[in-house]
Amino acid sequence: MMRLLTVLLMGLTLVSAPVHAQNGPLRLELDEGIIEPLPFAVPRFVPDGPSASQYATDISRVVAADLTGTGLFREISSDAFISQVNSFDAPVQFADWKAINAEALVTGAVNLSGNRLTVRFRVWDVFSGQELGNGLQFAGTTEGWRRMAHKVADQVYSRVTGEGGYFDSRVAFVSESGPKDQRRKRLAIMDYDGANVQYLTDSASIVLAPRFSPSGDRLLYTSYETGQPRIYVLDVARVRRQELNTLDGTMSFSPRFSPDGRSIVYSLTQGGNTDLWKMDIASGQSVRLTNTPAIETAPSYAPDGIQIVFESDRSGTPQLYIMPANGGEATRISFGQGRYGTPVWSPRGDLIAFTKQNKGRFHIGVMRVDGSEERLLTASFLDEGPTWSPNGRVIMFTRETQGASGRSTLYSVDISGRNLKPVRTPDGGSDPSWGPLQN
Amino acid sequence: MDTGTKISAVAHVSLISWALFGGTFRSEPLPMSVQDVSVITAEQFAALQAQQLAPEVPVTPAALQQPDAPEDETNTPEPTEQDQPESETVETPAEPEVESEPKTLELPPEPELVEEPPTLTEPEPETAVLPLPPGPSSQPAPSDKIAPDPIAPPPPDARPDDIETPPVSQEEGAETQQEQQEQTAPEEAAPEIVTEAEETQESAPATSPRPRVRPNRPAPEPEVAEAPEPEAQEPQTQEPEAAAPSAIEDALAQALGEGTEPSGPPLTSGEKDAMRLAVSRCWNVGSLSTDALNVVVVVGFSLTRGGKVVGGSLRMIDSSGGSAGAAKQAYEAARRAILRCGAKGYTLPADKYDQWQDIEITFNPERMRIK
Repeated sequence: MMRLLTVLLMGLTLVSAPVHAQNGPLRLELDEGIIEPLPFAVPRFVPDGPSASQYATDISRVVAADLTGTGLFREISSDAFISQVNSFDAPVQFADWKAINAEALVTGAVNLSGNRLTVRFRVWDVFSGQELGNGLQFAGTTEGWRRMAHKVADQVYSRVTGEGGYFDSRVAFVSESGPKDQRRKRLAIMDYDGANVQYLTDSASIVLAPRFSPSGDRLLYTSYETGQPRIYVLDVARVRRQELNTLDGTMSFSPRFSPDGRSIVYSLTQGGNTDLWKMDIASGQSVRLTNTPAIETAPSYAPDGIQIVFESDRSGTPQLYIMPANGGEATRISFGQGRYGTPVWSPRGDLIAFTKQNKGRFHIGVMRVDGSEERLLTASFLDEGPTWSPNGRVIMFTRETQGASGRSTLYSVDISGRNLKPVRTPDGGSDPSWGPLQN
Repeated sequence: MDTGTKISAVAHVSLISWALFGGTFRSEPLPMSVQDVSVITAEQFAALQAQQLAPEVPVTPAALQQPDAPEDETNTPEPTEQDQPESETVETPAEPEVESEPKTLELPPEPELVEEPPTLTEPEPETAVLPLPPGPSSQPAPSDKIAPDPIAPPPPDARPDDIETPPVSQEEGAETQQEQQEQTAPEEAAPEIVTEAEETQESAPATSPRPRVRPNRPAPEPEVAEAPEPEAQEPQTQEPEAAAPSAIEDALAQALGEGTEPSGPPLTSGEKDAMRLAVSRCWNVGSLSTDALNVVVVVGFSLTRGGKVVGGSLRMIDSSGGSAGAAKQAYEAARRAILRCGAKGYTLPADKYDQWQDIEITFNPERMRIK
């Protein structure tokens, strides 16, 4: 009897199933969204007294400018704010920030005690009402207020995007002034956003291609002080330099540090032939890496130090090649139309940035390390010399305008090709080298 | 001379006379424009000429006044002592003492969330402008926003908003007073990222833009498609016989329509697409890292009958393709999408609440990655 009842009920269930509610959740799949800057708000950081007021304003403005400058964020003007943040520890009125569509909110407070500045901040995901990460505090002297602002912005950037920031970093470059035929070049260093420019050399001789060490404490550069290009290494903090010992009667240029900072790879021209060499900085001993009649130059290490990408015209036109860091067989990776040069390996290791000349125009582009997925990001009369931001997301390069009054300017662009913009420097600038994040 | 010849002669003479004097071949005068010319005297002519003479040019030009030498902007001051490498006086930025162990701040008390959503009309379907026909002018222009469907630039006075609303101003004397309303329009969007290199290409693009997704047509679904999913049935089939009575009870209750929960037919494809579109409009991956863009996350949540997300119901069910950190960022972007676009409540058929009370959405950013 029981079995019969079971069968009957099972049958009843099956009959009614199609018209009944589904048991599981509604399942949907999304494969298309939007790409746009994330709207955020940075209400002025709360000062703990009148003396901290200006610092509070300045720091919150630099944080907002850092984030907006990435092109990944869009600041909501304070004019649109419904409520203000007057106390750092007071609960956030999320409804007020939702109403103006702020997806992220940065609140902060600034304390000034003598010459000591303390900055506290929190990052909020407005629509979920949750804090992203924990509150954090930076302390320093008043002279370092910009660095503290950059550090706050780095944290915000990192917590929202999931990748490291790049705001608390410096860029070495060649400052250029004067007309094109009498251009004066000085080695300079600045914050990533063009602030705090400091000159490291005078303009008595031509300087070229500064390159930061991995730790950011030294710079390699090429100088024509003796009439021939020679490589120098400069202690950034003490502004002391030392000429690297290369062979007499040769020209050495295009140096770059190895990832461990102990050796450099560079180009050396001897008897009309240019090859790649590697030098141990401590001992001054050089080893030849290539030996071909072609011109090999612009070497750049992979971040793991195992391989080197460089430029060579062994196939007839300048192209990009990869070879083991201690020399060996090179593999060509660039096969598009035009000439390729100045390759630079991304700090993330996944991409190689390069300069490309094709049909009378210059481009900055990126490709995978196997040469696939080449993408050109810029196009102009003259773009060259890319350098990577510490997080591998942004490329800075030199853009020169046409004509006798042409001027060199530093530009930056996101690796997606968006957010192309000039970097403000007091004079013209070229040959940027982006240093690491500061400690 | 016979009569015929006379008549002929008279007729010929008459014809010739008429032809000669009757004006048959007189030509009409050619059209001519006439302009009156007044005669002037030699003195008047000389006076007129004198007025038009150029001023006398001195034989020796006046000495040119040299302009004040402008300050040479391009000149840079001579390097000061500070610039000299040997000076050792270059100031390096003071190193802020960054606390090695970041001090974690205490979280303030949870604020009370009082959400009173503004009463706005239902979002209309996105008004997308159809792409232009192929040709040089059809190249997408660079835009801050990249969306699946391109959106034309909004009117200049319109405030950016997801919803397009026409401007309504109060008119005096109008019979029915309408509430004043600000004009809003969706922000301009391009279907794909356009780099400077692509933007300045003179010839036809080397690569064709990604084809648009074909809109899903609400096709009549076979009823079996909406049958309970096999996963849900599995536990029942695996029940041991000893559990039969409870299974019977469950089945009986289900068959008899336990409870008063309204249940209705399954959601149509169109209704599902509408929900999918509603979330995708807020799924912004523009600020995600390249690692997070490799992660596929499945997010589950529950909705109230009003279509609002139940507080605390959002959770990450699954993730694949990246580290835990990248998955966290991907989940947070998905969470923002669900919450932001659902702030006013999703529009779903009320009679099918059982069907959409619980939702799981798979966010697959494969098509949105930087290429």
